[in-house]
Amino acid sequence: MSAMRVDAKVVMLGKESVGKTSLVERYVHHRFLVGPYQNTIGAAFVAKPIQVGEKVITLGIWDTAGSERYEAMSRIYYRGARAAIVCYDLTDSSSFQRARFWVKELQNCEEHCKIYLCGTKNDLVEADRSVRQIDYHDAQDFAEEIGAQHFETSSKTGINVDELFQKIAEDYNSTAFQYMTAEETGVDLGLKKDSYFYSCCHNN
Amino acid sequence: MSQRTERRGIHVDQSDLLCKKGCGYYGNAAWQGLCSKCWREEYQRVRQKQIQDDWALAEKLQREEEAAYASSHGAQTQSHPQSSAPQPHPGHASMGPFSKFEEKKTNEKTRKVTTVKKFFSPSSRTAPKKETQEGKTPSPSISRHASFETDQVTKDFVDFLKNLQKPGREIHKQCRAFIVNMSSKKDLSADELSECVQDFYQNMADRLMSHFKGSSESVEQVMDQVEKYIMTRLYKSVFCPETTDDEKKDLATQKRIRALHWVTIQMLCVSMDEEIPEVSENVVKAITDVIEMDSKRVPRDKLRCITSCSKHIFSAIRITKNEPASADDFLPALIYIVLKANPPRLQSNIQYITRFCNPSRLMTGEDGYYFTNLCCAAAFIEKLDAQSLNLSPEEFERYMSGQASPRFNSSEVDWSQTGPAPPVTNPVLAQLNHNLELLSGLSSRQETLMEAAQSLQADLLSWPEGVQREVNNILEKYPLEILPREVSAIDANNMDNDNLPPPLTPQVFAG
Repeated sequence: MSAMRVDAKVVMLGKESVGKTSLVERYVHHRFLVGPYQNTIGAAFVAKPIQVGEKVITLGIWDTAGSERYEAMSRIYYRGARAAIVCYDLTDSSSFQRARFWVKELQNCEEHCKIYLCGTKNDLVEADRSVRQIDYHDAQDFAEEIGAQHFETSSKTGINVDELFQKIAEDYNSTAFQYMTAEETGVDLGLKKDSYFYSCCHNN
Repeated sequence: MSQRTERRGIHVDQSDLLCKKGCGYYGNAAWQGLCSKCWREEYQRVRQKQIQDDWALAEKLQREEEAAYASSHGAQTQSHPQSSAPQPHPGHASMGPFSKFEEKKTNEKTRKVTTVKKFFSPSSRTAPKKETQEGKTPSPSISRHASFETDQVTKDFVDFLKNLQKPGREIHKQCRAFIVNMSSKKDLSADELSECVQDFYQNMADRLMSHFKGSSESVEQVMDQVEKYIMTRLYKSVFCPETTDDEKKDLATQKRIRALHWVTIQMLCVSMDEEIPEVSENVVKAITDVIEMDSKRVPRDKLRCITSCSKHIFSAIRITKNEPASADDFLPALIYIVLKANPPRLQSNIQYITRFCNPSRLMTGEDGYYFTNLCCAAAFIEKLDAQSLNLSPEEFERYMSGQASPRFNSSEVDWSQTGPAPPVTNPVLAQLNHNLELLSGLSSRQETLMEAAQSLQADLLSWPEGVQREVNNILEKYPLEILPREVSAIDANNMDNDNLPPPLTPQVFAG
């Protein structure tokens, strides 16, 4: 049923209607939702294989409910996530405040989770500069301060969407790299296996 | 990153590979440089702490709410703590003889609770002990009293392992040894049991990984079977164990969901229209699935039920909205389904899956996603308040106390909105009407059937008559004529044939 093996959990965070689902939809199905679509059941969970060098990394992308009434439970969602895409709407300053909140939560609770700050609806800003409420440099400064990657995307035009997810997969791959090199040098990790197998359970 | 790239192919110092905790085993980058054992300890602690924090928060919120409720309503309906309190931990009494295991315990809290319990229930020591022991014989031959289901699982497992030949036998041996071992550890806390099982998974996976040369697919296949076998066997002793307050939480949740019976689909902002037959069909299936979860034994099967339930919810939303559902639609819908279903032993099941499921599946995959949503739904229901339903606190209180019913109001609104055309808005009434229609259709069909049967009977009665008549007609047309027959005496022709011997004449013998 869910035969796809998933390497890394990526969680989408952001206020309601900033376009989390559209972003995933754009990335996975290369389309922007404007009318009724019948051929997918749901976009809440997607497993997406990505080519990184010679390897294929499968990202499990978790959509979350952005409504404030579920805010208290968001910690349950991002537990164990390797990456979080914190979305905010470039035309909505309140959404950036919420993004700050999530960044803080993540830093407190999930230290192994990389943060990707993502300003959405770039096409609106391109069309009319006056609707922009979040300055690019402000967001960039904030991203640098928290050690996050920063992207401005548009699910409508597709700008920066692929780049964002590619970057996540590459970053994941390079953190998992150490393990790989250890194996390649031929050190026998299985040497001591017997000694600790059952070391705690097999004592009768 | 560049630093790491340089390392490739170059000799790596042994000390770099060792566990950071310095226990002497090899570490692993995937485990932050710890060895599997240290990692498990570290990880388990953090995870358990988070879970506990979450629950503590949920409990605190609920307590506050109950306190607020109690203060405004006096002692009106506050009988529930008693109903769940009296018999919770008879199992603790049986811990006495196993006190040597107690020393192993690191969990101070559990220990304290245990000693207190022991102190208070010295008289009940013998009875429950007998009870636990007849259920779970601690001898190595525990497999003997297995039920039909576990026998079947054992058989399947052995069959599966036969394909693996020699390593298969080794796996079986390890699993059996582990089960026997676990049966002697019944007095451990649930977290410690979980740790044992998770350790076993980890070690088994490590071993399989080196055996299959890193083919994670084969490893997972075997691990699924191992999980199925082990957890079916251990189910009775580790599901909702007496050492935890899972049962109490189950009762609390059940009560809570019952008290929230008035919550409507509109309050949760669920985008499902149950008047569409296809949608209500999916809703019913989703409810069935989430209830069915309790009947499964293997954590993975339980997860499957949740996934299937979620898929039905997604279909229902898609049919209603005509577009794929996002998490913003899904979570409220799941909450609604859980409220409607009131699944048996929800908390126990969640705890059981968290403790004993193979973690790789739980943390990242699709099943894990739906499971996380279920946990969220359960947490949401526990701390649900007026604000989370967009109600005023007064309204919430009125509904909770049963003084008013929102269902009534909302159906009135619907009446006015929909106008005279569709006379029924309540799905139950619609169902009822539908059933009535079916019934009347059925009765008319039955009438037709009766008529047909009667005409058949009449036909049957007239049939022999018809046949009789026909026979008579034919008899009349062709009356029976018996032609005179020429009888010839055979002997008449050779009357005077002299060649024949004379007839025998009787002779008299006088004595």
